[in-house]
Amino acid sequence: MTSKKRSSPSLSGKSSAAEYLSALSHKDALARNVVGVNGSRVSSPSTTPALSIASSSMYTSSSDDTEIAELVDDGLSFPSVPPTSEIVYTTRHSEFGHCSNEAYRYTPHHDPSRPVSGHVEEDPPYYILFTTYISYLLLIIIGHIRDFFGKKFYPKDYRHLMPFNGYAALNSDFDSFYTRRLKTRLDDCFSRPVTGVPGRTITLLDRVSEDELNTFKFTGTKTRALNVSSYNYLGFAQARGACADAVEESLNRYGISACGSRSQGGTLDLHVAAEALVARFVGQEDALITSMGFATNSATIPALVGKGCLVISDEYNHASIRFGVRLSGASVRMFKHNDMKDLESLLREAISQGQPRTHRPWKKILLIVEGLYSMEGTLLDLPAIVKLKQKYKFYLYVDEAHSIGALGAHGRGVADYFNIPPHSIDILMGTFTKSFGAAGGYIAGSHALVSRLRLRSHANAYAESMAPAILTQIIASLSCITGVESSAPSSALTSSHTVTAATDDSRDYRGPVPASCLPSWIELSPSLRSGEEGRVRLRRLAFNARYLSRALIKLGFITYGHADAPIVPLLLFHPGKMSQFSRLMLERKTPIVVVVVGYPATPLVTSRVRFCLSASHTKEDVDLVLDACDEIGDLIDLKHGSGDRWPLEEIKRRAVELVEME
Amino acid sequence: MSAPSSLDPLLTFLSYSLLKVQDIFFQLPGSAVIARYVRSSHQNDPGRTALELILVVFAVRTLLQSRTRTDRSASNFVKLTEKEIDELVEEWVPEPFTAPLTPAEVHELANLPVIQGASGPKPKLVNTGKTVLNLASYNFAGLAGNEQIKERAIETLRKYGLGSCGPPGFYGTIDVHMDLERDIAEFLGTESCIIYSQGFSTVASVIPAFCKRGDLIVADRGVNFAIHKGIDISRSNVRWFDHNDLKSLETVLESIEKERKKKGGKLTRRFIVTEGIFENDGQMLDLPKLIELKQKYKYRLILDESFSFGTVGRTGRGLTELYNVPATQIDMIVGSIANSLCSAGGFCAGSRVVVDHQRINGSSFVFSAAMPALMAVSASEGISLLTSQPSLLTTLHENIRAFRLILDATATVCPIQIPSHPASAIVHIQYRPNAPATLQVPTATSHKLSLSPSKQSNPSSLAPRDAQEFDIELEDKLLQDVVDEALSQGVLITRAKRLRGQEPAEPRPSIRIAITAALTKKEIEKAGSVVRSALVKVLGKRR
Repeated sequence: MTSKKRSSPSLSGKSSAAEYLSALSHKDALARNVVGVNGSRVSSPSTTPALSIASSSMYTSSSDDTEIAELVDDGLSFPSVPPTSEIVYTTRHSEFGHCSNEAYRYTPHHDPSRPVSGHVEEDPPYYILFTTYISYLLLIIIGHIRDFFGKKFYPKDYRHLMPFNGYAALNSDFDSFYTRRLKTRLDDCFSRPVTGVPGRTITLLDRVSEDELNTFKFTGTKTRALNVSSYNYLGFAQARGACADAVEESLNRYGISACGSRSQGGTLDLHVAAEALVARFVGQEDALITSMGFATNSATIPALVGKGCLVISDEYNHASIRFGVRLSGASVRMFKHNDMKDLESLLREAISQGQPRTHRPWKKILLIVEGLYSMEGTLLDLPAIVKLKQKYKFYLYVDEAHSIGALGAHGRGVADYFNIPPHSIDILMGTFTKSFGAAGGYIAGSHALVSRLRLRSHANAYAESMAPAILTQIIASLSCITGVESSAPSSALTSSHTVTAATDDSRDYRGPVPASCLPSWIELSPSLRSGEEGRVRLRRLAFNARYLSRALIKLGFITYGHADAPIVPLLLFHPGKMSQFSRLMLERKTPIVVVVVGYPATPLVTSRVRFCLSASHTKEDVDLVLDACDEIGDLIDLKHGSGDRWPLEEIKRRAVELVEME
Repeated sequence: MSAPSSLDPLLTFLSYSLLKVQDIFFQLPGSAVIARYVRSSHQNDPGRTALELILVVFAVRTLLQSRTRTDRSASNFVKLTEKEIDELVEEWVPEPFTAPLTPAEVHELANLPVIQGASGPKPKLVNTGKTVLNLASYNFAGLAGNEQIKERAIETLRKYGLGSCGPPGFYGTIDVHMDLERDIAEFLGTESCIIYSQGFSTVASVIPAFCKRGDLIVADRGVNFAIHKGIDISRSNVRWFDHNDLKSLETVLESIEKERKKKGGKLTRRFIVTEGIFENDGQMLDLPKLIELKQKYKYRLILDESFSFGTVGRTGRGLTELYNVPATQIDMIVGSIANSLCSAGGFCAGSRVVVDHQRINGSSFVFSAAMPALMAVSASEGISLLTSQPSLLTTLHENIRAFRLILDATATVCPIQIPSHPASAIVHIQYRPNAPATLQVPTATSHKLSLSPSKQSNPSSLAPRDAQEFDIELEDKLLQDVVDEALSQGVLITRAKRLRGQEPAEPRPSIRIAITAALTKKEIEKAGSVVRSALVKVLGKRR
């Protein structure tokens, strides 16, 4: 895709060739006007037309809106460096950014001699904390005053919050206070409706509110914005390309649905194939696929533990894990986020004290942790946990919802990143929503364990099985990451290890998948088969992640998380700054959409904005984000970091150096 | 006495430092106000000073306690030395993570039917390599493999890609989701609707979104697994009524009302939770009667229509269409998009307040990625097909009738019973030695006949009034033999797979048949006679 190819007629995409040429000529014309200002068009005062594309006048509803959008120079649709005829890109720049600069790549690696940094929380100056608390206090006081007078003067608006006609309130005014009086103030920053592909850019449906954000009206216009919010780590959210082609073929062959639950007539050959591939991919003996990521946790954990068992859970674990643990009936203890000392003392206490009151030993202890925490960007300290596991004999369940595909030199998640054999972890759970551009999740483990789950998992018996189109996207994107082994020589060998291949120690599980594992009708281009494409995506993601997190620190912001994590939270603290930041980012000349999160998803004082990087971003895109952050950071006083600072221009110039720094 | 004299320097030091502290205190701005307040309150009521002092100490103690609670302070905590702990750690042997599979379980997994290629009315199986008539998969209205839907799905794929790459709150709300929500709301006639990305997780998330600790749920004993899980997680108080017996419901509601009048207390949220067509046995709810009761006793109704939406009513709008009840009279209609629209996900329809509440409180809505765009479009297309082609549902209903005709006749020669309603698209067959031929739906009338009315079930227990006794292992085995026999004759059916050991109330083993409109009446009759001959062959002798 981004690899250089002589423009041989057979290889370049059939449909995209003509399209590409017309875009190219258009681009040349544009480039003549724009380039010359330092090579970076971002700073250039180019005559950018209005960003909002009137939906009615410019194209008919049946046409593909991304094609039309390509013709608008909004700073997002064309790469800053005009392409030469040497390089042929088969992706849309708006979906997956064009970047051929080999310097903007990075291969993540973990130095085993260095300890994994735990969760370091840098404190802001005290006045920030103080004013943050004051803000909440003010919000609460004003909220109560509004409620007080509102109930007096507009009783109709409060009827659903009050007991009415013998029914108790569905949600009392007290229970919903936070939502009504605090969250509503920033409701324009949440649930923004979108259309099109959630790729490198995303198209927002513009909306306005005339009643203080209670309801919204669509204006009928759309805005294309740079997308640093979607979980699209490897950039597989694409409407074009090999994966989408495979999905189309599968829709033709399989239809939409698998019609039923896995154990009651809803198992297709594709399920079996995808599960074998996933098991190989994560280095376990077997895997079980569920049609929803949330349910993968919530329907599996109760099948693993029950009364008399102890679940030890990180305090920042995802809601689906808590849901599952609550259903299971097991006892739960929490330890401080990623704090190995706290975990060890908890383990010692739990094992020595046994069950509460009876002091009977626990039947089993299950430690549930996440590989990469979605709100903190912290990485699991897996080496330390594996050591603890040997001593304390607990079972280990790692939720790799965000880390699978996004971490490690081969994209195999935390175990790959820390170079730890995956079978030292009992259960690897992950989702396909993020790195694979699909949906649903998997549970992987030993053959015995997964078989047991096939019989006991709630989802397997009762939930609809995963749709064939989604399975195809998983199979195709996964093979892009790994590459496909040519099946020519030892076909007898490859066919024998479909499911249990990973146990064979002589082979590295991180190698390419055998061609026999793929359905024969999935066609992949040579660059995908070789795994070259996958490697480029992984290395681009790693570069972008490191570049943004380090650059933000150098700009003076407080961020959380690990440098190699594609999730970069930037601390805002004040609740009022969440909406400010989000709106300012959206109103920029090149709009950027961001995710802001505050209480209750985070602790009260540490409201934050969360950037999710993607392999589809180019270095120029990250520069755009940095420009915006720098400007807004000065405007609303966000730079409270303590380390040494670099000027913005220096950061952009020395990006590669910054990324390579230890 | 020398003791007081030796204490003298200490006392002078104390009084000196006290003065010093007082000095510093009064230098602080605003301290005079506090001092005045303390003085006057102490004068008025010395007891209050003591109380306030205790409060301050308590507040400090609470603040100093660590965030993660430990049981260390509990009286039950045994103090151990580090060495003892090390020994205990060394000694502790956990149970194996999972029990190894029994041969029967291995066999079950190995024999699970795997469909090669598309699922539909006549799929090919990997296991046998043969094409079979499919009465196992949910394809009620026959939408699976519909070319029109496929076409729209491919269009959507080319415009939206596949995944939504985010939860609805964070740029995962796509315009096609809003379209589908509007389509379902209009189809059912409710004000609003919300879609979840998995059918099974929908009701398990809707219930705890509304029912909190201290609230009251009155639920049917025979509800499906997902509802049980939703009730579990809500931590509300639960009362159970006999399966599909609205008389029993009324008794329970009446007793609750009496209790409430006696005790008084604050008005809590109260819900009735039940299913339209029960997943576990195919019985059907008497909706008008239930609405009457709900309105009389002022309960909100959460109705799971996962198996009635898209299967009953003239155009598949579910029980509300069948009984001609306005959908607005049901507070929350929960349904499955996966089952009858052959797409994925679930929905909850209701008033705007009900729906908007879930957008913040429905945990599997908030914390899960949104449904892929092409799934939403396929569902929308499915709804428009149901509305524009009533023949889909007519065929389904005719097929159900044809199949039931054969099956009900079989029940006279075989020890089986069919608890399912004659109009239900899912048909359960239970093995029942010495059973009355066909057990019709136990409606209010049949209840009058059964047993002595004085004997009531205990509403706080899941145990039914007249518990059936059955041997799960034996019945499962016999029914599996029937399934295998039918498969060998070219008809794919399945046992209702249960999570034995995890089910809150173990349902009786059954074969679950899903009728489809995609087969012709001839084919359905052929499949029916295959099922019949399989039943006769395996169970006929066991009369």
